[in-house]
This record gives sequence, C-alpha cells and structure tokens, in this order.
Amino acid sequence: MSGRGSRITDEEINELVSKLQSLLPESRRRNTGRVSASKLLKETCSYIKSLHREVDDLSDRLSGLMVTMDSNSPQAEIIRSLLRS
Amino acid sequence: MTISNGDGDSAAKDGRRERKRKRRAEPSLVKWKTEGEQKTYSSKLIEALRRVRRSSATGAASAATDHSRSRAVREAADRALAAAARGRTRWSRAILCGRTLKRRVLPRAGRPKPVGPARAAERSKPPALKTKARVLGRLVPGCRKLPLPSLLEEVSDYIAALEMQVRAMSVIAEALSAVGGAPSPAQTEGPI
Repeated sequence: MSGRGSRITDEEINELVSKLQSLLPESRRRNTGRVSASKLLKETCSYIKSLHREVDDLSDRLSGLMVTMDSNSPQAEIIRSLLRS
Repeated sequence: MTISNGDGDSAAKDGRRERKRKRRAEPSLVKWKTEGEQKTYSSKLIEALRRVRRSSATGAASAATDHSRSRAVREAADRALAAAARGRTRWSRAILCGRTLKRRVLPRAGRPKPVGPARAAERSKPPALKTKARVLGRLVPGCRKLPLPSLLEEVSDYIAALEMQVRAMSVIAEALSAVGGAPSPAQTEGPI
C-alpha cells in the first residue's frame, strides 16, 4: 500500500486489529464483541514476549539435552523416526 | 465522466486494482499450523543443533558455557524459522541477514520519530496507539519503522511462526529427554 501509506482511516485500523484479535489465544477464548485497539496491541506485545520467553526456555533445555545427542548417534535416528511417523 | 467500453473497462480497472493489492502476496498463516511444515522445521532444526554441538565441542572450553550454547541454540532455531518463511516476510528476511548486523549500530536506527508537520495524517492515530505500535514494532525483527497495517500483517505471520517454533522445539525436547532417560525406547514395560 505504498500510495495509501499515510492515510490510514480508523476503520482500517479497527479492521486490522480485529484480524489480530483472532490470533491471540485469550481473545479466542473470550470472544466478546470489541476490545479496544489499544488493549489488543498491548496483549499482542505481551503475547510475543511470552513466546520469546518460551523459546528461550526451550533453547536452554535443548542445549542441555544436546549433550545426550552427543554420545549416542542412534538416538538421533530415533528422534528422526519419531518425527517422521 | 470515465471512458468505458461497457463492462470490460471497469472490470479491467478493478482487476488491475485487485492485482495491485494481491501483488503484495499476503503470506498465508495456515502453513504454520500444518504438521508437514512443523516436521520440516524440526528436522532442519535438529541438523542445526548438531552443527552447534560440533562447533561448541571443538571450540575453546570457555566458549562452551551453558549460556552461550543456549544462545547458539536460540539463534539456530530463529534462523531455521526464518528460512522456513522463504523470504516472504520482513521479519524473516531481517533475521536471516540481521544476525551480524544487529551487533553493529545501524545508522538509521538512532532516529527517534518522523518529523512532525509533514506527516499530519499520522497524527490521526491516537498517540496511545502509536506508542504501543512502536513497542510492537521493536519486538518483531525488522519492523521498527513499519506503518501500522504492514506491521500488523508481519505480526500475524510472526506470531503463527513463533507458535510453530514453540511446538516443534517442545516435541524435540520431549523426545530427547525421553530417549536420554529411559533405558530403551522400545521397552516400555519392565526391565529386561
């Protein structure tokens, strides 16, 4: 939208934000009519931050578990077959 | 009065407009939910993890601290995720070419705000929204200066991708801990 980039109507913002609402897990549960755009943006920020934290935690976990990949390469094959099934 | 050859012209004009809109190639979010995509990502991630393991084993002992290994894992996971996006989104391109650039200060990154009077239309958005949109833009890689509509599109794709990343990494972590802990995965009932 290179030409229209500077003229964003409130309506368009609301449309986009309601699309965003369907992505957030809490909003899917609540499913009330309209949440304010500002609140949704804030929830989106928190959600992304919590996803980042989860990925960090999983990275910690994986880096510790990676050592087991080290000693037994058959284990890696087992993992592969688990993923394939 | 517009010149029209019956319906053909206006249809063509609409078609042109539709094509113009579609040319932006909105990434579909569905693919991040498919099992196939997750499995592809998981195997790529495992390959990357092996490379990390190999490189940390041969590196200096001081380099192979838990934290640096964990960060290497995180970066490998993010890179694999960005690769899975196939270059169609801004955040993925930013990750793929930004890992080294992030450490150097980019000249444009220091500019705080667009200059006021020229952008009168932007002030139509309430300042509270703008602040939150800016925070959001900082969270998604490569999206700091994006206007709100594009930003929200990137955010949608990014969230879907992150969710897949979390699912895939959880599966791998579970598989690794199960394999590491149990004596043999084939025998679930009783010892030999």
